[in-house]
Amino acid sequence: MDSASFQFVLFGLAAAIVSNFSRSRVWRSIVLFVVSIVFLGLLSHSPIAFLPLLGFLALGYGALVLLQRGRSRLMAWSILGVILVYIWLKKYTFLPEGAFLHYPYFTLGLSYIFFRVLHLLIGTGDRDEKQRIGLGAYLLYTLNFTTLLSGPIQRYDEFARDQFAAEPIVLGPRTIGLQVERIIRGFFKVSVLAMLFQAFQEDALVQISEPLPLPLKLWAAFRVAVLYPLFLYSNFSGYIDIVIALARLMRVRLPENFDRPFSASSFIDFWNRWHITLSTWLKTYVYNPLLLALMRRISWRRLEPFLGVFCFFVTFFLVGVWHGRTSEFMIFGVLQGGGVAANKLWQLGMARGIGRKSYKVLAKNPIYIAFGRGLTFSWFAFTLFWFWGDWKRIDQVFAALSIAQWLVVWLAIWLCATTVLALWEALRGALLSIKTAAGPVLTSRYVRVVYASALGLAAFVMTVLLNQPAPDIVYKAF
Amino acid sequence: MTKAIADSTENLHPERLKEPRLPWRDWVLLPMLSLLTLCLILVLSERIAGRTYYSTGNVGRYCMFDDPLMGYRGIPNSVCTEKNPETPLIEYRFNSCGDRAGMECGPKPVGVYRIVLAGSSTAMGYEVSVDRSFAAKLPGELSTLTRRKIEIYNEGLVKGSPQSISLPFNQLPASRPDLILWVLTPLDISSGLRQAIDRKPPNAPGIEAISHLYPERLPERLRAHIREMMASGSISDEIFRLWKSHFISSVTEHFLYESQSLYLKSFLKSSEATFLRVEPDTEWKERLRESDIVARDVEERAQSAGLPWAAVLVPDRAQAAMISMGEWPAGYDPYKLDNELRSIIVSHGGTYIDILPGFRNIPNPEQYYYPVDGHPDAGGHRIIADLLAKALTSGAIPELKAVAQPQAILQKGK
Repeated sequence: MDSASFQFVLFGLAAAIVSNFSRSRVWRSIVLFVVSIVFLGLLSHSPIAFLPLLGFLALGYGALVLLQRGRSRLMAWSILGVILVYIWLKKYTFLPEGAFLHYPYFTLGLSYIFFRVLHLLIGTGDRDEKQRIGLGAYLLYTLNFTTLLSGPIQRYDEFARDQFAAEPIVLGPRTIGLQVERIIRGFFKVSVLAMLFQAFQEDALVQISEPLPLPLKLWAAFRVAVLYPLFLYSNFSGYIDIVIALARLMRVRLPENFDRPFSASSFIDFWNRWHITLSTWLKTYVYNPLLLALMRRISWRRLEPFLGVFCFFVTFFLVGVWHGRTSEFMIFGVLQGGGVAANKLWQLGMARGIGRKSYKVLAKNPIYIAFGRGLTFSWFAFTLFWFWGDWKRIDQVFAALSIAQWLVVWLAIWLCATTVLALWEALRGALLSIKTAAGPVLTSRYVRVVYASALGLAAFVMTVLLNQPAPDIVYKAF
Repeated sequence: MTKAIADSTENLHPERLKEPRLPWRDWVLLPMLSLLTLCLILVLSERIAGRTYYSTGNVGRYCMFDDPLMGYRGIPNSVCTEKNPETPLIEYRFNSCGDRAGMECGPKPVGVYRIVLAGSSTAMGYEVSVDRSFAAKLPGELSTLTRRKIEIYNEGLVKGSPQSISLPFNQLPASRPDLILWVLTPLDISSGLRQAIDRKPPNAPGIEAISHLYPERLPERLRAHIREMMASGSISDEIFRLWKSHFISSVTEHFLYESQSLYLKSFLKSSEATFLRVEPDTEWKERLRESDIVARDVEERAQSAGLPWAAVLVPDRAQAAMISMGEWPAGYDPYKLDNELRSIIVSHGGTYIDILPGFRNIPNPEQYYYPVDGHPDAGGHRIIADLLAKALTSGAIPELKAVAQPQAILQKGK
């Protein structure tokens, strides 16, 4: 079953209907457990393929039980053990080939299970009052089919609050309508927008290496860079829309993972809006502890701001590295970390150079924000070359143009993104300003019904016409 | 702990409060609004698409007839215009022999080397004006390369393959060709050469019948589809047919299929891509067997007439794109049909003219085909003419071997 296919949506809706047969927490937990196991079974038919995943889950649960029994001294070792087993199972290329298991096994969703297990271990080890999590709750939390493949990374307390509540959260016609609309929106993003952006980028990739006149090559390079972030956003956020809505229909609220990321006016702001649950997780468990530890050890006050820059770099380098096992993702990590660190340095430099107050005024200037938005988009678009390409493909693409020509392309993307995103923000603001007593007209249920119908029709037409499944969810592979 | 988390936070969530009731009118209003949106989008987009990408005329209906002996033929001395959604308005003028030859039929002039083209719509130059078809461009290029006066008499006809391969032999006394060039396309093979030769059963719908199946006005068309749906009992098939019979379907497909990637992925999953698959199904093997029978028949006729004959495969849109890209998904091979046809034609004594490798050097050749209709456009015909001229003069046909040219003439030829 493809992760954002029509079948997946039907499967999730069926699960939601059965789950709502009773409001009892036991019934809803049994349904979620059975549905999650069935979902795993649909993804792989070989029981042996699940053994490594089961081993990983058992390791995590064993460590959790020890920590729950007060063995806090073991926390560091258990975390290290989980990280090493994860790296081994994911076959990171810096480990010797001979060390890996040489049979096909199931790793889908392992990264997200890894985050959830670490969260449980750290949360349990750090608390004075040890939390008690039974095996059933542990498996429900780690294998929940709505968050299994590509997140969002939900905190355990948030999951337990909704899943195990004696009186589950309300699910009336308004909420159902909103979730159906969100599923249609997500499906449209995945099966129409993502499919088109991916196809157009593939066309551009073919064209960039062809013997074409320079203006056509520059245009192809422009499309190669610009279309991938749009594809990735449609692909990933569309899937997240679907699973958030399905979980809500099962009376569980999942955290949001996207907040209009291309509206971000800086790269730091971008990472507050893109894959929010991942960056929040790493900020909580890497950035904060690292910064605190460094500040305890280094007492030179003038260096303090730069410790933040360093911690930003480490955190977002890890964000990048987490995405894949190869050296391309190391570069991707360096570019993410470098981008965030440079952004922080710029903020520090500007605050020092023109004064904190003036910088605050400047940061609110619409033109400054617009250019910042364009720069953020263009930087992210170029860093993604190491996300979607292997070295051979990256070499091929860069060899198609000279350095000066690539600079022209980058400048063009910056300026175009600045203009287009500013126009988009202005249009959105203007439309949302049309209000009635109940709120903006654009978000009223009548308008939502109209555009959900239109998006649904478009998604149906595309699916029928193209006779092919939508591109698979990219983040499923991580 | 689990219960503790759940209970301690229970009262903090506004969503736990009762959801406001949905007004009763919305239970009716919202579904109606959705239905109205869908209807409006469909009707408006169909109207706009129909006005922008209209079609008119029907060469098959007004200028062709079903000859009981020879298959579909042009009505002698008739003129039709036709415009399909993707094409400009094209004139189809048939001479006194019912051919779209761009010249009158009759014996060839003295000293002229005459090639007679046989084949289907691509050979006929369907959907391009006659002067922009490869049949019109080829004589000039060949004459330049061979320094001979070369003439092409086009007997290609829509739906004409393989019946039209019989035409040169039937019209031998009148046309007196020096070479018969049979232009084949993958569609000719997949639609069944032998089947077409054996003629269709009397109750099968002809072109005229098909043109009446879906009336032009939207309400009548909908009524026709509902009638069909009731008759066939297959709702999904009929919905698909209903959708495909509308302008908006062609227009959407046209824009989507302009993307090489989308087009290829979609085409390769369709049943039309059988000829590209490395492992052919039994039906395709049957199609090849039929081609073999027809090629043997052609060879016998050519031998008794003392005429040389050659065949060329014009690739379809997906095939041309794959050859140009130089890579294709596992399980597919754009050269497979080329190789199969070569061995069939050569084994029966014909000459095989191979133009497929030439598509390697053409960036994005798919843009020279109409995306939905699949026929080559004027640009595509120019490419076919260039590649055919090169292949025909490479020595495959000794009478047409190119002679050494001063650079200036070659430049002029280009």
